[in-house]
Amino acid sequence: MAILNQMKKIFTALVFFIFLSVQGQQISGTVSGTVKDTYGNPLPFASVLVEGLKLGVLTDENGLYSLNNIPKGKYKLVVSFVGYGTRSILFEIKDKSKKVNLDFTLQESTEDLDEVTINGKSKETKLETTGFAVSAIKTKEASLRNIQTNELLNTTVGVKIRQNGGLGSEVKYSLNGLSGNSVRIFIDGIPISTYGNSFNLNSIPPSMIKNIEVYKGVVPGHLADDALGGAINIVLHNDAKTNFNASVSYGSFNTTQASVNGLYRFDESGLTVKASLFHNYSDNDYKVSGRSVVVTGLGGVQTPITARRFNDVYRSTGGRAEIGYTDVKWADQFFIGVTGSDDYKEVQHGAFMTITPYKDRFLESDALLGSINYQKKNLFIKGLDVKVNGLYGKRNRAVNDTVSWAYSWNGERAIDFRGNEYQYTWGSQQEGGPTLAKIKRNVASIRSGVSYAINDHHSVSFNHVYSGIDREDSDALKSVLENTFLGTRDLKKNIYSLTYELTAFDEKLKTSLFGKHYQQKTTSVDPAIVSDADGNDVVVDEVVSSNKKYDGYGFAASYEIVPNIILLASAEKAIRLPDETEIFGNDGDNVIANSSIDPESSENFNLGFRFGNFNIKKHDFTISTNVFTRNIKDRIGLPIETSLNVDDELIIYVNQGSGTSKGFDAQLNYAYDNNLGLNFNISRFDLKIENQGIEIDVPNTPFFTMNGGLRYSFKDLIQKKSRLNAFYNVYFTDEFSFLTAQGSNTVGNEFFAVPQQISQDFGLSYAFPNNRFIASFDIKNIFDEPVYDNLSVQKPGRAFYLKLNYTINKF
Amino acid sequence: MKKTFLNLKTFAAIILTASLMTACSSEDDTVVTPEPDTEEPETEEPVEEDPRWITVAAAKMGEDPGDGNGGTLIYSVTSVDAKDPTVSIDPFENGFIAPSNRTARLQSSEDGNTIFNISYAGDTGGNYTKYTIEGGQVFTPSGSEVSIAPYVGTAPRWIKLFDGDQTGAAVYVSTENEFDENDNYARTEATIGVVTLDLVNSSIKEFQEHSVPLSTEEEAAGYYISRIDMPTLNAAGDKLYIGARLSKVDPATAESDNDFDILGSKTIILDYPSLLNPSVITSTVGHGNTNGYRSINSFEYNGSVYQANQSDPEGSYILKIDADNEYDDTYDFNLDDALGIEGAYILAWRPAANGKAVVAYRHNGSAEGVAGLQGFFALVDLNAKTAVKIDDIPYDPDFYLFQYQGFVVEGTEIYLTQGAVGQNGNIYVVETETGAVTKGAELVNTTGSHFIGVF
Repeated sequence: MAILNQMKKIFTALVFFIFLSVQGQQISGTVSGTVKDTYGNPLPFASVLVEGLKLGVLTDENGLYSLNNIPKGKYKLVVSFVGYGTRSILFEIKDKSKKVNLDFTLQESTEDLDEVTINGKSKETKLETTGFAVSAIKTKEASLRNIQTNELLNTTVGVKIRQNGGLGSEVKYSLNGLSGNSVRIFIDGIPISTYGNSFNLNSIPPSMIKNIEVYKGVVPGHLADDALGGAINIVLHNDAKTNFNASVSYGSFNTTQASVNGLYRFDESGLTVKASLFHNYSDNDYKVSGRSVVVTGLGGVQTPITARRFNDVYRSTGGRAEIGYTDVKWADQFFIGVTGSDDYKEVQHGAFMTITPYKDRFLESDALLGSINYQKKNLFIKGLDVKVNGLYGKRNRAVNDTVSWAYSWNGERAIDFRGNEYQYTWGSQQEGGPTLAKIKRNVASIRSGVSYAINDHHSVSFNHVYSGIDREDSDALKSVLENTFLGTRDLKKNIYSLTYELTAFDEKLKTSLFGKHYQQKTTSVDPAIVSDADGNDVVVDEVVSSNKKYDGYGFAASYEIVPNIILLASAEKAIRLPDETEIFGNDGDNVIANSSIDPESSENFNLGFRFGNFNIKKHDFTISTNVFTRNIKDRIGLPIETSLNVDDELIIYVNQGSGTSKGFDAQLNYAYDNNLGLNFNISRFDLKIENQGIEIDVPNTPFFTMNGGLRYSFKDLIQKKSRLNAFYNVYFTDEFSFLTAQGSNTVGNEFFAVPQQISQDFGLSYAFPNNRFIASFDIKNIFDEPVYDNLSVQKPGRAFYLKLNYTINKF
Repeated sequence: MKKTFLNLKTFAAIILTASLMTACSSEDDTVVTPEPDTEEPETEEPVEEDPRWITVAAAKMGEDPGDGNGGTLIYSVTSVDAKDPTVSIDPFENGFIAPSNRTARLQSSEDGNTIFNISYAGDTGGNYTKYTIEGGQVFTPSGSEVSIAPYVGTAPRWIKLFDGDQTGAAVYVSTENEFDENDNYARTEATIGVVTLDLVNSSIKEFQEHSVPLSTEEEAAGYYISRIDMPTLNAAGDKLYIGARLSKVDPATAESDNDFDILGSKTIILDYPSLLNPSVITSTVGHGNTNGYRSINSFEYNGSVYQANQSDPEGSYILKIDADNEYDDTYDFNLDDALGIEGAYILAWRPAANGKAVVAYRHNGSAEGVAGLQGFFALVDLNAKTAVKIDDIPYDPDFYLFQYQGFVVEGTEIYLTQGAVGQNGNIYVVETETGAVTKGAELVNTTGSHFIGVF
């Protein structure tokens, strides 16, 4: 605490003279009022800004706001809240009317952030929202229901999640067809890989998250990284108002999820403490069936069964605690904190469900990280905003697979053709031999940004992100010698971006131009034996390092053609730097180094329109569309096996061929009389790759998806002032093939088809009159349809969940 | 939109069915017309057997030209049609897709009426299926489901034994470095698993695991058996020979060693059918691996087993293992010498009963094609130890035989497929007695794809 106080003093001293220049006001007025949602409930923490004055405030827990010291003149007052629309009203402070009362009602919506670009004149979101192809996902409603963060993302237009099973299983994210390493995921701008497997979108509850921003193809400078296909940024809560919420959910497959979030601010000193905790558990023992779910008997005879998964338990626990100051003179936010997490995940099968399910193979990971975070607007001078976010710590990953006995899908020891229980030749569940592999990583990442608004029309910002990973491998099942000669791999990335923003033509045109500079330094240390001067063998470290630099650039622009019709365009030359395996290889997988490998690059274009928000009587709707292309070059992959390399124990990653993704996204939001809400989105794309002049459609790609949702609110249903929301959602994924497109008259194609899938969910959420208690009940996959994200990897069927939430905003 | 598409599909299906029917009737014509011609001179044999099915296998491009990972398609025609250059076969358009995630490893019955497949990788990797060939794209599954995955993994290396289509054999090897009490490298333990599969009744016959040690000196130097494949029965039917690849670790670091002296070719020998009593024999003639790739690599002929080797520094040899189950080191048949080339590498081969064989190979002079080094065919004589390149078959630089799997032997004739990656080709029939080559049916190709043989 002493340190904190000292820091506070230093900061105060540093910024003291900046505030000497505060102007005195001659005539000043006050504007005040309340902000409510369409049900008449007060909206706490909505942002209220006087345009042009850089004067703003958040509403209190009763939705009340008040802004003082407004000089004489005409102004526009803009009110916005994440997940809700934005409203603005013109007002005037005159000698006679110094006190103005303005009440607002905000419409709830699953709006894109770009709506803020159009209507919102708020300073803080302006930077992030100028013309980018971006979706903002509000988590408020989901956090009260039995909805996972990943499920929420999956229903976002242009986003497709592919998960290898139930809760906690491996997830791949695809943005407009680009996936894997092409998509970078951040938590408050810090690469999520820094946090490790135990603190990811499987484990973090939506209640910890303020909102999620999904940038497709073009990533703004403040989130700069080598994100070839786009970026997903998880914004954790950063309010500065005392609040507390807790929730617990229980449901099918013995799934329990609990979370507690709390913040307390000492209003006088600004001292703020906040903490979040989460715990997830699931047996994931859902039923599966299909061509590989069989029990093998004498002679190898197979009997198909419906099995319950028996080695798929997931548990994760974690939390974050921070202490610091909010809304004090020297900082809008200053926190130091610690994040800890731990998870355990059993693995039922490999990439596919085969007839040999795994038993007692599991993964464990944990991480302990310290964080620092500082934000200040108008630091030293008006218009200069500074933001720093840093994380440092250790994370560990372990794979455990030591059981050699074969198990059957009925969960019992399998028998061989003679009727005896047997052990696999390879001595483990997954082919490749027993392992107790451990990977220790020291991780660090810091992102800092400075922006300066020259005036209302021009601003510049500079952003830097550093991320570094030192990796060390070991395996307790391997000998001292083998562990001695395991190499270490260090990777350090620095990415710089410079952004210039221009607002012109009465704020109809908004542009953002940015350049990015990527620098990656990788070092591999491989112990080797050499002869010294005396001819003795000595162990030395062979150090190879590579330092590569690349540049990229892009822009985003929006133009309001006529009110409520906006053209959005963005483009970027993006790159993805080769990862440590691609550069240095991996001893375990016999991949050798290719230090001359180039990054993958892509030219990404988005062109979109946005119509709305239109109000016609009680109907309220918005339509937005985006068409996109991604032109990828120098894709990184492994070469094909030939008679020249078939005996090589080692393989090497190379740059091979190009690729394209073209398609469109569209989204419709409609509301009637504030009781009925409907949203619908559709995404379709063609993903092709080209090698040696031959282009093919990439197989195993869900290229056509649609999602729809309906919500209806019943007010005062059981008790006065209570609210019951009913939800219905439908998800559609068109059939896709695991195999390349075949001829028009071939037979046997169905073997490789992942069939068309339609899954439907239903939910009820009841808010008790005081709005402190909310109970939610959800049925997922009502009709128990088989759903797959990957060929033959079945996901959970029908499931029921109940959740209780308790929230207080005032102590 | 959807409806239009369906209608289009139906329409296309009708057109195609109609055209296929016409194609079939024209096939019937070609079958009918030559019959009197063939029957007339051979009046002693009034009953002519139905012509054998020739099943063409084609490997569709996955991501890279020639990778064969986009599906294995098969299509059957009669041997009469197979020899007819006016017949056109398009497996990529009309074929049956063998259920296998990566290129299927196919086998056919000796009479050509049944196709045997074991799925390679993916969710059904290791699943055995057999199909009765009905002609064209019609392959009717028969027998029950059985999988060898529990014994040899989901990417099994398997071969049909030459025992009258009774048995398939698949193998697996796993290795583990061993260290002494001072943590110094001692040896690498190689454990093999061998499973035999009853092809008729679709059931597992036998499975055994063994350690296959090398000599003490070889093991001390870090050599071990790293891959095995191509089980073959000896003439007596009491031993199973398994081809082996050797690798080496650096004993000082226990890391793999890429630059080492290649040892004499080795073969693992087991009692059959018990799969017991493993031993390892070593050739002093050949110095390459004997595990082949996807095509059968050793064959019984005249009481001995002839085995090709690969990656031999002197170029591929055909080695001979005699009835005493030892290498016959007096039999020295080097393909470099026989063909007058360097760096010969046998990619696939197949002898007829007369001791004459067709060999698919590449060498140092092969052009670098789109998917690897250009391949060639040669006619070899196992007795005379001679080899002649077959010049009547065209060789495009993109003609690539690494994944080649199948030849059909009918009497003294050997059927094979020719076709460069992405280009049309033909079936060719080599008369091994005379060396005469007949150009047969045209093979219609598609972008980046190739043909991997006939069954």
